[in-house]
Amino acid sequence: MRVCFTFLLLLASLSHADTRPQLTNDERTNGKQILADVEPTLPAARASVAQIESPRGKPVATAVWVGVEGYFLTKASEVPELEKHRIRWEKDKTAAIREIRRLSSHDLVLAQAVHVQARTPVQFEATTPETAYGQWLAAPVKGGREIRIGVISAQTRRIQGFGAAMGIRMDDQPSKIPGVRISGMADESPAALAGLRKGDVLTALDGKAATSMKDVSALIQSFQPGDFIEVKYTRDGKTSSTRVRLASRTKIMMNWDGEDFANGGISLRTDNFAQVIQHDLPLSPSDMGSPLFDLNGHALGINIARVDRVTTFALPSSVFWKEIEPLIEADRHPPKALKPGDQVKDSSRTRQGLVKDSSRTRQGVVKGSR
Amino acid sequence: MMSRKLPHGACLAALLLAGGSFVAQAETLRAPLKELISVQMDVQSLLPKIRSAVVAIRTHDGTASGVIINAEGLILTAAHVAEKPGREMLVVLDDGKKVKATTLGLDKTTDAALMQLHDTDIIWPHVKLNRNVLSATPGTWCFALGHPGGFDQERGVVLRVGKVIRQTANALQTDCVLMGGDSGGPLFNLNGEVIGIHSQIWEERDHNMHVSMAPFLRSWDEMKSSLVIRVWDTGSGGYLGAAVNLNAAGKIEVLEVLKGSPAQQAGLLAGDIVEALETLTLNSAPQFSNAVRARAAGDEVMLQIRRGENAKEMRIKLGTRPKEDEG
Repeated sequence: MRVCFTFLLLLASLSHADTRPQLTNDERTNGKQILADVEPTLPAARASVAQIESPRGKPVATAVWVGVEGYFLTKASEVPELEKHRIRWEKDKTAAIREIRRLSSHDLVLAQAVHVQARTPVQFEATTPETAYGQWLAAPVKGGREIRIGVISAQTRRIQGFGAAMGIRMDDQPSKIPGVRISGMADESPAALAGLRKGDVLTALDGKAATSMKDVSALIQSFQPGDFIEVKYTRDGKTSSTRVRLASRTKIMMNWDGEDFANGGISLRTDNFAQVIQHDLPLSPSDMGSPLFDLNGHALGINIARVDRVTTFALPSSVFWKEIEPLIEADRHPPKALKPGDQVKDSSRTRQGLVKDSSRTRQGVVKGSR
Repeated sequence: MMSRKLPHGACLAALLLAGGSFVAQAETLRAPLKELISVQMDVQSLLPKIRSAVVAIRTHDGTASGVIINAEGLILTAAHVAEKPGREMLVVLDDGKKVKATTLGLDKTTDAALMQLHDTDIIWPHVKLNRNVLSATPGTWCFALGHPGGFDQERGVVLRVGKVIRQTANALQTDCVLMGGDSGGPLFNLNGEVIGIHSQIWEERDHNMHVSMAPFLRSWDEMKSSLVIRVWDTGSGGYLGAAVNLNAAGKIEVLEVLKGSPAQQAGLLAGDIVEALETLTLNSAPQFSNAVRARAAGDEVMLQIRRGENAKEMRIKLGTRPKEDEG
């Protein structure tokens, strides 16, 4: 039968748009054809990562192996309670996690996959290999199942921090009940995700009474994006409490009416970095923590924040590697790695460490923003 | 499905600058990567020359982008940025300097618009636009520049490299990802010529739409004289009045010629094989349709026709699409 594809020129309208020749998915920039060429140049890239899974089995961040005995780095603000998570590097291979050190200033956490040996670590360098605007880059995604490419899309620079936020507007008027009333809320704000609603009256945050908007703002500002904050509130005369997972103020202010076609969402913490490489790789928030490579296979740094539809930030290795390497050495000598049968320590201790750490960072933020 | 125009309501905070330099990939790379590296070298050698022509535009309620295309300071942007002729707007240059411009005409049917910088005494940095509209075929490498989220001196103009996914009569779709604030910014080919102006995004990552150069070239004089094009019959391009299909031999065959149409007046007959339009060899019906519609009404096109054993050239003056056929 002859294929008859009639096209009336005078009626050609938008309805014909879909019949026009179109580049297949495989032929696109991040299609199978180009990726098949890129992958052999990065033999170790996909094996260099693992997925961090929440207690419910949801991938929340990516780990990059940095030492043979299961040492890894990931994005700290995505995993405030890291030891409640598991790490998965193959379909049927998972391990418990021991947290070693949180570096809130870089939004990184060093940890170890318990009883795991012989992972191939990424060779980061204290001096990041030279990079340039327009240069191709690659990174493993989906826990190492695939690779993506993109280019350096803007100037390498410092990203100032503007602190954490819950995504609420508060009332100036004193309400009958002592506390601060929520008068408005950002779309999918941390407050909304924790179950708070417009009209709720906040009575205490982090165990301290909420008496004025100023107090509440100052208290929230003392936390880091990604931290949990305990919130007591009253609704219809009934008192309840919830835990709010804070996000970057910048992220909330830029997306008050919802994330603008961000494709898979954006990271909780998107600012306060000493230096970032900005690129256009199509990554998701759960890909953060993965290493970023040039096409010669050199590791340049770690993907640290999915910011919006067109932007991902990566920390160059020069920012963090000098601090990480001694931490691994110190942990290894004397060895602190758990022996088979040891219990993973309770995660409540880690949370205290986190709060202390963040208050230190806050001073830096305040000073830096003036 | 939802689509969204791209001006942006909010501005990014100012950040601290750390400079970057241009270096090529020095080490030897596997042969298959030659294509990527050649794209990178082209983009990196073009960027310093063309970035000063890319501007941010402050509209009354947001920020957008644009590109200067001649020494007198004529700017191409999107119609939903300009909104109407005679509007004064602030333009931010690559170095952060702020100047003023006024909107000229626009084509609301395709989202194309022109603006004029006020100071015409200085020589403005500018880029060329691509006049061979049909050259931006699917698979062509391209790159987008713009100011997503608004102008940010420390960040600089934002680059995205990708490919043309689809070409229609008045638009291009690419996998260069865009967002709010990019509207009106330029899409370049690897010769550094403007092939598109950022217009719309859809929800998926590869749904990035740019106005092609066709509406600009077609309605240049109208837009320069501050006219607003609102209806398709002036904005939709040339009209031939012939129905064609791809026959079993893979040739473009005329099925029907409409009474009183430019095609009939020129003597085109049902059964004729259209082999080429100007220098473009034809191999699909949509390609032929695009080539016709990318030209303006009143333009003359040369068709290479085969009628039985005979080959002949036919000159046809394109008309405007009859009103009753709209939609």
